[in-house]
Amino acid sequence: MAQEEQSSRSIYTDLDETTGGEEIDKWQRTLRLWRETLKEHWGLLTDELSVKLSMLTVAGFVLIAIFAPFIATHQPLQRQYQGEAGIIIDKWAEPSLLGAESGYLLGTTAEGFDIFSQLVYGTRAALLVGLIAAVFTAGIGTLVGLVAGYYGGRVDDALMRIVDFLYGMPLLPTVIVLVAVLGPNLWNIILALIILQWRSTARVIRSQSLSLRERPFVKAAEVAGAGDWHIISRHLAPNVLPMTFLYGSFGIAWAILAEAGVSFIGLGDPNTVSWGTMLQASRAYSALSFGAWWWFVPPGICIGLLVISGFLIGRGYESITNPKLQ
Amino acid sequence: MSQLEVEDLEVYYETEDGPAQAVDGVSFTLEEGENLGIVGESGCGKTTLAKSIIGILPDAGYVNDGSIRFKGEDLTTLSEPERRRLKWEEISMIAQSAMNSLDPVYTIREQIVEAIETHRPGTGRVESTEIVTEMFELVGLDPERADDYPHQFSGGMRQRAMIAMALALEPSLILADEPTTALDVIMQDQILKRIATIQDEVNSSMLVITHDVSVVAETCDRVIVMYAGKIAEEGPVEEIFGQPYHPYTIGLKRAFPNIRESSQDLLSIAGYPPELVDPPEGCRFAERCPMATEKCRTEEPDAQYHEGLRSYCHYADQIDAELRPYADDPTTWKQTAAATDGGVEK
Amino acid sequence: MGKASFVLRRTLQLVVTLWAVGTVLFGLFRLMPGDPTSYVVSSQMTQEARQRLIESYGLNDPLHVQYIRFLENLVALNFGQSFHSNQPVTDVIATYLPNTLVLMLTAFIIAYVLGITLGVLSGWYRGSRFERTTVVTALTARSVPTFYVGLIVLWIFGATFNVIPMSGMTSLGTGGQNTGFLDMVFTLDFLKHLVAPASVLAFYYMGYPLLIMRSSMLEVLSEDFIDVCRAKGLTERTIMFKHAARNALLPIVTAAAIALGYAVGGSVLIETVFAWPGIGREMVRAVLRRDFPVAQGTFIVLASTIIFLNFAADLAYGYLDPRVTYD
Repeated sequence: MAQEEQSSRSIYTDLDETTGGEEIDKWQRTLRLWRETLKEHWGLLTDELSVKLSMLTVAGFVLIAIFAPFIATHQPLQRQYQGEAGIIIDKWAEPSLLGAESGYLLGTTAEGFDIFSQLVYGTRAALLVGLIAAVFTAGIGTLVGLVAGYYGGRVDDALMRIVDFLYGMPLLPTVIVLVAVLGPNLWNIILALIILQWRSTARVIRSQSLSLRERPFVKAAEVAGAGDWHIISRHLAPNVLPMTFLYGSFGIAWAILAEAGVSFIGLGDPNTVSWGTMLQASRAYSALSFGAWWWFVPPGICIGLLVISGFLIGRGYESITNPKLQ
Repeated sequence: MSQLEVEDLEVYYETEDGPAQAVDGVSFTLEEGENLGIVGESGCGKTTLAKSIIGILPDAGYVNDGSIRFKGEDLTTLSEPERRRLKWEEISMIAQSAMNSLDPVYTIREQIVEAIETHRPGTGRVESTEIVTEMFELVGLDPERADDYPHQFSGGMRQRAMIAMALALEPSLILADEPTTALDVIMQDQILKRIATIQDEVNSSMLVITHDVSVVAETCDRVIVMYAGKIAEEGPVEEIFGQPYHPYTIGLKRAFPNIRESSQDLLSIAGYPPELVDPPEGCRFAERCPMATEKCRTEEPDAQYHEGLRSYCHYADQIDAELRPYADDPTTWKQTAAATDGGVEK
Repeated sequence: MGKASFVLRRTLQLVVTLWAVGTVLFGLFRLMPGDPTSYVVSSQMTQEARQRLIESYGLNDPLHVQYIRFLENLVALNFGQSFHSNQPVTDVIATYLPNTLVLMLTAFIIAYVLGITLGVLSGWYRGSRFERTTVVTALTARSVPTFYVGLIVLWIFGATFNVIPMSGMTSLGTGGQNTGFLDMVFTLDFLKHLVAPASVLAFYYMGYPLLIMRSSMLEVLSEDFIDVCRAKGLTERTIMFKHAARNALLPIVTAAAIALGYAVGGSVLIETVFAWPGIGREMVRAVLRRDFPVAQGTFIVLASTIIFLNFAADLAYGYLDPRVTYD
């Protein structure tokens, strides 16, 4: 079966890697194995148009985040004043994109902040939350899953009890409570997300790990006297990598959505602009009733774009992990 | 009129690179009550052939040309509803006994009754139960277990359940697609003997599609050897397996160890079957054939007739002299284009 | 015998999880900054009165005593009294929970009926434009935050065209304190208020069963028994629903039960946007005003819903799939 061939191919390539009798360092071999597996996946992934587009989108956002100070026209949290008397803009400036003469591309918020700049800087918050949360949830989840699946028995029981418990906690309410306890800032939001989100990756990786450890090549390694860690990193890990990346990509999406939700409730970081806080502010100042759609429509679109990119990349991995869906 | 007449059948699959000519000009007949085996390696087109006769080609498959006449009616021209009428009632199928040939969420009884109800609506519960019981007894299964789910049966039992279901409507033709592949040798033997017994009682004709020649040798009267979408050779079982007149069949024979002879090296035919999207001109076996000449590579062979065999080889009449005496020698098979190229895939 | 011990073990797990959640909750809420007593006592009270009040709430007792009392109360379903309104928390829950349930269940049912059907069809008609459109729509529905869609809907249909009410569950002036829940539910006014949030939610929920059903169908359609069904002469419709969908449905049932649990937890956002007086919104308000008892009580309700539904999902799967053995 195609899937099995794919999995075992990654494992056996490393055995043939010793070129001309050189003694390559064990870690180098592991790294090379991982690198080849990743290269293989990359090829399969980028075959899909949707994945290519998604990666471009994410790359675009990353660039915007990095070059934010050059792209944004103003400071995102700097009140814009009008006139020499230093009066805060009392009437919201309309977007110059729509023809108003305000000098602000997307107009200003009710508090006098430039919306366009907020949008640009918001990229940083979104990517920070998304990427960090995703890396940690996928990483921790994979580690726990591998260990639980491989060792089985009491270790597995104990770890899965923790996961079961975490599954019992409703995501958003728990994050809300945690953020309320720890204080509303971006890092606490990220931390709260990480604490909860690794549960799904752990469960899935564990079941993969469980079935993998029964495979002949693992048994063979055990018989040959390979150490636990060796088996986990060389034989199990490369095979679960697609799953890890799948959940990592989904993790980016979920994290950004969660942060938006928490900020929308009012527990967002008051010192950082994120798309979620923009939406919360727009609501607080009844932008809806005033029809100032240029305030609340763009942040949502940005969220949607980044999140769907995360999902599509994850789904690209789905084809790798489950060939029947191709 | 033969029960089944296949004439110049061409069945293609749509692929990204163009149509794959899975079955390319196949003709044969099947008489009432006869057993015909179709053997060949994976990809030779036998399964596609079977599927087009039963009528379960996937969306990408289509009949490009030719006809399949069953009791005079050309199946390829029938409409869907007309075709459905014939399915199972006249032509049924015994699938591989893989776990997945029976729907896991319905009982065996429910699945057999479904076939009955579809084609004979209004058959009461009493009569359906009778049929199920009768079929179960015929295949040697305990009728009390008809209400079990497929996963509760062993592999051999499941296969017998499939046979029971295939026979329930007393079809005229049964297609057995790899009927013993998923079974161990002991069960294989049991199933084959079972099939033989039933045949005497039921009087259907049977098409046995398999890559396992021993199955065909035990159950069939005649056999067709297929290669790369075409027929290589056709004839009575004893002749084909005793003295075949096609290099491919000869090679196949040598590839199966003979339990009676003293230990011998297993012989493999170097190379792979050709691509079906852009098949080679001429004889498709030419690349792997020790007797191939320039003519073979450019002209497709016509049928040659020997001793009741139909063989598609330009040099069929020279096989007795030139190939058969040397067939056991592995070096003979290394003198093919495929072997000297290092068996590189086209 | 396997079945009984399975159920027993799962039940035990249920209880343990509930206990663990409760304990963590206890710890979390005690850790929140901000002095809860400041909501209860006013600076004009005398020191004595203040002490008495604090004692009556037991906020001065050592932590482990508070914990034992907490556990006892939990089992007795006594969640205390709101710091804010002095109402028993169970009353608060009883007031707000039904509103959430009505909204959730309406949206859920619509979403799952639609989602499953569309999923079956997209799986069956794989490669068609219909399939591609539905999949993209489903993905988009899950990528855009629900509260954002809610905002857009409110803006377009509420503020601009004025077809739907801007907030709440009922209009001011309709019904009073004494209107029964069922009486309220069957009024046109209520339905007008329900349409927008329920549709927005349904749009969001629908993506999940659609995508799962589609994947499941694709897997099932590659199985051999589908070929056998075709060979038997069954109509395409029969095969699609009686055989393919029936098999593909198995993972959905558990997924649905689990999703329902999460839906209740995620109700927070939609209720906030539409000012729907539900338990999620109430929980957030309680957290923001440091109203421990209400925050705790509502959280426990949300968590328990999830835990019970996960439990039900486990049992349901065993019932639906004849292949499942109870190890």
